[in-house]
Amino acid sequence: MEDKIKILEDKVALAKLGGGEKRIAKQHEKKKLTARERVEYLLDEGSFEEIGMLVTHRTTDFGMEKETYYGDGVITGYGTINGRLVYIFAQDFTVFGGALSETHAEKICKVMDMAVKVGAPMIGLNDSGGARIQEGVRSLGGYADIFYRNVQASGVIPQISAIMGPCAGGAVYSPAMTDFTMMVENNSYMFVTGPNVVKTVTNEEVTSEELGGATTHSTKSGVAHITSPNGVECLEDLKKLLSYVPQNNKETTPKLPYKVSDEYRDELMNIVPENANKPYDMHDVIKGIIDEDSFFEIHKNYAENIIVGFARLAGRSIGLVANNPMYLAGCLDVKSSIKAARFTRFCDCFNIPLLVLEDVPGFLPGTDQEWNGIIVHGAKLLYALSEATVPKVTVITRKAYGGAYDVMNSKHIGADMNFAWPTAEIAVMGAKGASEIIFKKEISEAENPEAKLLEKEKEYADLFANPYTAAQRGFIDEVILPNETRRKLIKAFAMLENKEVSTPKRKHGNIPL
Amino acid sequence: MKKINKILIANRGEIAIRVMKTARKMGIKTVAVYSTADRNALHVKFADEAVCIGEALSSQSYLRGDKIIEVAKQLNVDAIHPGYGFLSENASFAELAEKNGIIFIGPKTKAIEMMGSKLAAKEAVMKYNIPMVPGVDHAIVDVDEAKNTAKAIGFPILIKASAGGGGKGMRIVEKEEDFVSQMERAISEATSAFGDGSVFIEKYVTKPRHIEIQIMADSHGNVLYIFERECSIQRRHQKVVEEAPSSILTPEKRKEMGEAAVRVAKACDYLGAGTVEFLMDDQHNFYFLEMNTRLQVEHPVSEMISGLDLVELQIKIASGEKLEIKQEDLQIKGHAMELRVYAEDPLNDFLPNVGKLTKYKLPKGENIRVDNGIEEGMDVPIYYDSMLSKLVTYGRTRDEAIAGMIKAIDEYHVEGVATTLPFGKFVMQHEAFRSGDFDTGFVKKYYNPEQLKEQQNKEAEIAALVALKQYLEEKRILRVPTN
Amino acid sequence: MKDKYKISVNNLNVFEFSESDLSLLDIVSVGENEFHVLSDKKPFKAEIVSFDFLQKKYQVKINNNSYWVSISGRLENLINEMGISAGSTKQINSIKAPMPGLIIEVSVQAGQEVKENDQLLILEAMKMENSILSPRDGIIKSISVAKSQAVDKGQLLIEFE
Repeated sequence: MEDKIKILEDKVALAKLGGGEKRIAKQHEKKKLTARERVEYLLDEGSFEEIGMLVTHRTTDFGMEKETYYGDGVITGYGTINGRLVYIFAQDFTVFGGALSETHAEKICKVMDMAVKVGAPMIGLNDSGGARIQEGVRSLGGYADIFYRNVQASGVIPQISAIMGPCAGGAVYSPAMTDFTMMVENNSYMFVTGPNVVKTVTNEEVTSEELGGATTHSTKSGVAHITSPNGVECLEDLKKLLSYVPQNNKETTPKLPYKVSDEYRDELMNIVPENANKPYDMHDVIKGIIDEDSFFEIHKNYAENIIVGFARLAGRSIGLVANNPMYLAGCLDVKSSIKAARFTRFCDCFNIPLLVLEDVPGFLPGTDQEWNGIIVHGAKLLYALSEATVPKVTVITRKAYGGAYDVMNSKHIGADMNFAWPTAEIAVMGAKGASEIIFKKEISEAENPEAKLLEKEKEYADLFANPYTAAQRGFIDEVILPNETRRKLIKAFAMLENKEVSTPKRKHGNIPL
Repeated sequence: MKKINKILIANRGEIAIRVMKTARKMGIKTVAVYSTADRNALHVKFADEAVCIGEALSSQSYLRGDKIIEVAKQLNVDAIHPGYGFLSENASFAELAEKNGIIFIGPKTKAIEMMGSKLAAKEAVMKYNIPMVPGVDHAIVDVDEAKNTAKAIGFPILIKASAGGGGKGMRIVEKEEDFVSQMERAISEATSAFGDGSVFIEKYVTKPRHIEIQIMADSHGNVLYIFERECSIQRRHQKVVEEAPSSILTPEKRKEMGEAAVRVAKACDYLGAGTVEFLMDDQHNFYFLEMNTRLQVEHPVSEMISGLDLVELQIKIASGEKLEIKQEDLQIKGHAMELRVYAEDPLNDFLPNVGKLTKYKLPKGENIRVDNGIEEGMDVPIYYDSMLSKLVTYGRTRDEAIAGMIKAIDEYHVEGVATTLPFGKFVMQHEAFRSGDFDTGFVKKYYNPEQLKEQQNKEAEIAALVALKQYLEEKRILRVPTN
Repeated sequence: MKDKYKISVNNLNVFEFSESDLSLLDIVSVGENEFHVLSDKKPFKAEIVSFDFLQKKYQVKINNNSYWVSISGRLENLINEMGISAGSTKQINSIKAPMPGLIIEVSVQAGQEVKENDQLLILEAMKMENSILSPRDGIIKSISVAKSQAVDKGQLLIEFE
């Protein structure tokens, strides 16, 4: 028995070395942890069970049979994070540069299948040069197998991708289809075609970092939802993200213990400025509503005119969507609509209640918006919010004008509770524009048209730039004081906890894409 | 003769409670005064009546003699016990009390004034054949003149505040170059602590031992000396360890010093409890330092070896009674040690530290006495002195008292603030202290936080190993996903 | 692989031990989480007051003194060496008040160059004057307090460049 055990131990030791000591040292030099180290750090101590440690590739073309590695460049298996089960794959850059082969993809597909069967989150730590060229079409097939499973799992279990190294070519489509993509500053990049090919085809000279680094994708393209300064913080952020979401689409969100006290937040009384045209930072409002330190922002630096992220209210997770008057006056536009729509749909998939904080003067005007399809993209957000059947609560802090009023979780599209602050202005149009239309005759016939316009503007504002017309119709359930917002919301969400809505049977809707 | 039925204690912390305990024993009602920071203090809970007299800062509360007198009048208080510190040696407060028909449990105003200024005190006792330290008789106003005087006296010299004690405004100057800056520091400290920046200088006696005599005088001309206390273990000129009797006094020397102390008391027509402080050099010559016209912090050790309750005597004397005891009747029995438990970190240059007392358990035993002023769960207040309690042990011999002190320190559990307890243990275990061969330079000479640190390091190492063992064992336990 | 663990106690002492060092510990269990240790023939009482296995943090009482122990394994040490640990890489260049009190003197000014142990300010607390000395050589960037100002524990006093 003993020598048989020795054989096993040797194989295991070899597998754990991946591509060898030298390559491991090189990773460390680049301030990157190896795949095994990442898994060890991320998962609870001693919880990791590896699956397929001794798998090797089967290729014989190009003399490949001479070079095999146990594990074939990816670590797969399951473990726990803070006691909760997760499935994970981590690509090992020390083996063939983490390149994907048929067997490499098979390993990944195996854990993905298990994750769906069991109903636990799937985490992918991507660190790969792309397809293993020597495998030819087989590696392309491998990718497709993964893509298919991403889609089958989409909305069933949470899928999170962390790009911790290169991720290029076809490989990028897997993270793109997962729920959240995380990147590491200076150490990761994603693009479909790399700088070399770009140069030859379009003559553009651009670095990997510029083309598809963490900053590019978190500010320009919005492909990355979260960026972290280094690999370790990325893993910490991943753990944090998981703490807000349930294990699968049949479970409710995790709830932390919380002791309710008086919950008044007087600081909220002073945030909205007297002058309706002065901006304020919606982050301050968010801070005054949610549990201390519980805000986890998604897409922090992208489409900043809308804020999305997770938070906790009396210990229970919620998803937050909030206009931010600091940017573009809080207007909705193409990017912000898409950003908020996808987030809303994720929350709806996983039973995460939605809280919408509204201060929107309308949609951003301009040819840029119109020619880029604001019509269709703005509709995305409207569709997503209408479609969502999780508890939905809205608080209008200030402006709610025109079509944007409808879009931002109005009562008519299925919101459960709609609140407004006394500073709310709910109307079809701003006072100036409306007066110009309604009182056109009066103004043109007046002695001093300008003064008349101002007079009518004030008349209109007094009548309509407030929450009361809407409240009279029951479109707003209650006009509340800012400092009691948190109290109202905790009660509302507690009340809505067991909400169940049945929708007509269909394969799926046709959201404008 | 005026019967005292109700006493107001114009103080806080352990001394307020200690005085109240004796009052209660004598069937006298007690009134406590407190600042807003002390609302939850033990002395407030212990008294029969309690009144808030102002904000946290002493200057707005415990030093507000006017407010205190007002409260005393309102509640029909017969006498005020000032404790130590605060207003205990404030002549105008004593006078104000008398003017309002309230007995001040202490000496008359004149005695306080006379002994309140160290310079005036020296002048007063000069006629009574009391040996004194060479120095300057008047307060220094001109720094240059002082420098010259210092040179004349000969370095090292000691700069002392005229108006108070406790180490404030006190500085030793070794070299001429340091004189000016030390002088300025001393004046500044004295001004802020006592409101009086007068300092004077005297020769710094080498290897001095600080030995003081407890006296008690009634209004019928009787003055007793209740033996001595040795208070040479000091840091920053503040006493930390005291004992009674001293380990080096012969009965003859004791008699000599005791009688000198009585003469000092008579010189200022003293009334009540007082302490005459002397400095003793290595030839066993003693020199008058000053007289403290109040009950002192370290009085418990004298009580333990004499069997007397000094506060009780104070109260009786204040109400006009005659001292029944005769000097011949007084006898020393056994030996007592006291450790002042300050919220100071001996590993960090005795810097005061604040915090919540997450754990505070006093040692208990037949020969252990703890005069305590604070409770577990309370925050150490920042506005006042950092003393938490006095730990006193008694033994039939000095060695027994020392052994008892070590055991008591081990059983005194404090968590949340660093205290002088480990330092006390260091002193008790040190050869120089145990042999009696030490002077006021003990701390400077022998104390080295490194030793305490070593013990701590050893314990830290064990803690690390125990934790590691626990961790490795837990690692082997199988963990299954909870979800 | 003989794993070496870096163990930090109360943030003051740091030890390096491996599993084999445990054999040097003469320890017996005397109750739930209570132990008796003999070291150099001297006895010590040990009690594990609290533990967090996932965070590797333990609170251990030795003879009634509490010690907070934090264990770092091979991976944490590697991460620290690479300089990519989470968050705590910021150098502290500020002096904060060690206790609440009153500033009675500010001995330096912004822009001034100071050496280790130079007096920066004097803080009066509990009737004692405490000199705050400079922990290092450096240039004062800014001073956030003034003479006669009352400060809280932890309040920012001085910043270095």
